[in-house]
Amino acid sequence: MKLTSRADFDTLVRNVTAAWDEMNDGSRWVISVGISECSIAKGATDTFEHLRLKLEDSGLRYVLRRVGCGGWCWAEPFVVVSGPNHPPILYGPVDAERAPDLVAAMQRGLPLADLAVGTVGDEAIGPIRPLLEHPFFSRQKRVLTEDWGVIDPTSIDDYIARGGYSSWAKVLFDMSPDEVIEEMKTANIRGRGGAGFPAGIKWERARKSRGAPKYVAVNSHEGEPNVYKDRRLIESNPHLVLEGILIACYAVGANRGYNYVGGEHVMALDRFKQAVEQAIEYGLVGENILGSGFDVEVRVRAGGGAYICGEGSALMYSVMGERGQPRTKPPRSVDEGLWRRPTMLNNTESIANTALVIRNGGEWYANLGTEKSKGTKLFTMQGPLKRLGVVEMEMGVNLKDLIFDVYGGMKDGYRFKGVQTGGVSAGALVEAQLDVPVDFDSLTPLGGMLGSGGFVIFDQSVCPVDFARYLQEFNRYESCSKCTPCRLGNPALVEIINRIRNGNGRPEDLDLIDRTSKHVIELSLCGLGQVAPMPLLGMIKAFREEFVEHINGVCRHGTCPMTARQPMAIAADG
Amino acid sequence: MSGKVAAVAREVQVSEEGLERVRTLLKEKYHPRDHEEAQELILMACQDIQHILGWVSPEAARLVGEHFGTTENRVFGLLTFYADFRTQPPGNHFMLLCHGTACYVGGSQRLIDELRDNYGVGDHETTADGELTVQIVNGCLGVCDIAPVIHLDHVYHGDLDVPTFRQTIEEAKRRGPAGGHHEAH
Repeated sequence: MKLTSRADFDTLVRNVTAAWDEMNDGSRWVISVGISECSIAKGATDTFEHLRLKLEDSGLRYVLRRVGCGGWCWAEPFVVVSGPNHPPILYGPVDAERAPDLVAAMQRGLPLADLAVGTVGDEAIGPIRPLLEHPFFSRQKRVLTEDWGVIDPTSIDDYIARGGYSSWAKVLFDMSPDEVIEEMKTANIRGRGGAGFPAGIKWERARKSRGAPKYVAVNSHEGEPNVYKDRRLIESNPHLVLEGILIACYAVGANRGYNYVGGEHVMALDRFKQAVEQAIEYGLVGENILGSGFDVEVRVRAGGGAYICGEGSALMYSVMGERGQPRTKPPRSVDEGLWRRPTMLNNTESIANTALVIRNGGEWYANLGTEKSKGTKLFTMQGPLKRLGVVEMEMGVNLKDLIFDVYGGMKDGYRFKGVQTGGVSAGALVEAQLDVPVDFDSLTPLGGMLGSGGFVIFDQSVCPVDFARYLQEFNRYESCSKCTPCRLGNPALVEIINRIRNGNGRPEDLDLIDRTSKHVIELSLCGLGQVAPMPLLGMIKAFREEFVEHINGVCRHGTCPMTARQPMAIAADG
Repeated sequence: MSGKVAAVAREVQVSEEGLERVRTLLKEKYHPRDHEEAQELILMACQDIQHILGWVSPEAARLVGEHFGTTENRVFGLLTFYADFRTQPPGNHFMLLCHGTACYVGGSQRLIDELRDNYGVGDHETTADGELTVQIVNGCLGVCDIAPVIHLDHVYHGDLDVPTFRQTIEEAKRRGPAGGHHEAH
């Protein structure tokens, strides 16, 4: 069904909203199973199948549906159940064996307390407390993730029923491109890819950039270890990202938007492609959208597993079917990007905020977060913690609270040693440094970085020298080899750190690391090369004592190879 | 498996039937409207081909080049730059071993050492008996909460230590060759 006017769209909104309300009118059981890459890894498909078979014979009136990820990895596979006189309850982990119990409970009309995480809403049912009282949820500000685990990501109707594409209709008919940009500037979103450049200013530059046609590109390529927020965002709510791309195209005057998704993120890629097809079918993407006279085409492009393709110019080359290797700037991509035409590049998380800013106003957004870092941020925190997953917090959350409250602190038997910040582009922080707000500016003076919001907690069993070797090895491996300082400097650093690890370190090695790093940082061509030695330097800064111990031949963890070596061998290749 | 076996590159060609599937794929799915769009589609097509064949052979690369108006060399240059692609056929079982930061902290290095010491394979290599191909994922599989994690024959296995890792591989081998295509991840 192709919509050709705003009135058509309004009718559709009424119809799908009515269908949504009918589904949730309390006359039937609604069973929603989270199906995303992460929950499938934990057997959610089996849970779904077992539920399906049991429900078929249950005699209940029900709807069994798939939803996206909720962010609560620790409770996956999860199922949300609501029904007659039964407010929605989140259950998890529900593995396939427990599925019959859940269906039996529904037949009795009762909740299943031992599997319940909490109720959705304010009401407690017996021993089951509201989710909002749970430390994982109580401090979250779920704006981008509001509909995660609620809507079916493969259904455009679900998205529209929850207010989706209303911003798109609004900008097309009620706002000029300049007004959209003004709203973005009021919101003052800073780029979520890590650099933190204000999106509104970028949009304005792109609008003013001469040259035509123009393009909008979105970077959904997450090559960074331990960062998977954008994947989950697309898997759980792909239309939110798509709507953002459309609004951006309108604002800067582009008739084509690109989304570059890592080829290895199969489900995100499929769901986004499907979202685009659905939007085309409704006439929300295409020519003369809703009769407004505005045309836009959206292209989905896949990468091939190269970290470097997260760098802007490398990403552009990859989209154009070349090796993803950065080039010197200027010209910036807003002047000369894809096919040497003006291209505005945004991160997935930034662009996903767009529809919400238009829907609720820039002021609303600017009231979230801190003075210099507005809005919310998706975080992924990993390591030996009690609860793992994706959370959405207002900017400025205290790092200590995030680790020990929201994520529940260390698992039993593990002692906190440090937290690696900023993915593989910044340093680690130790326990004494944790009382700090997490935003774009506060972590940097300590040697850390917000980056894309990925943090890895490590415990006392991890040797910082070996960890530093791992991080440096990562950056060496991912160097695209185009420029010499990065191509040769990073392997040299790996060599030095390996020497220290093997028990052949020299007293001057830490200085040598400093000097070599300085070359890589100052002389590398692109942003990734310029931060490649940062995690190594950060680890030395945080745990210098242990590096010195290694140089003196002791690894207190007993994990570095030196512990197995004989003095003869040390002398031989020292 | 006992003792060490050296990983070897095997001389295998894609069957005529396999190539026919590649031709059909290109003809049915890829219709670039201009040269620019054709270039944009090369990587996507290579991903699709790898889904079908499990790797991208030189013959397949030539077909891609012909279809999109570029050279086999150019296509091969992409295949060797991007870590996802395999230019050698995979073995009976295909493993992605995540070596992201969370997996590292959880002990993925021990799994890599186990593969090297007892299976004789490293990144992008196949065991000499053709049973197992390993690809070490330097980025992240994105299921960090069950780190260290592998993706073996399309199934995730998490919270691994060396004994459970071994057991997982041996069970897969006992089940026999994984059916269907090898998903490019």
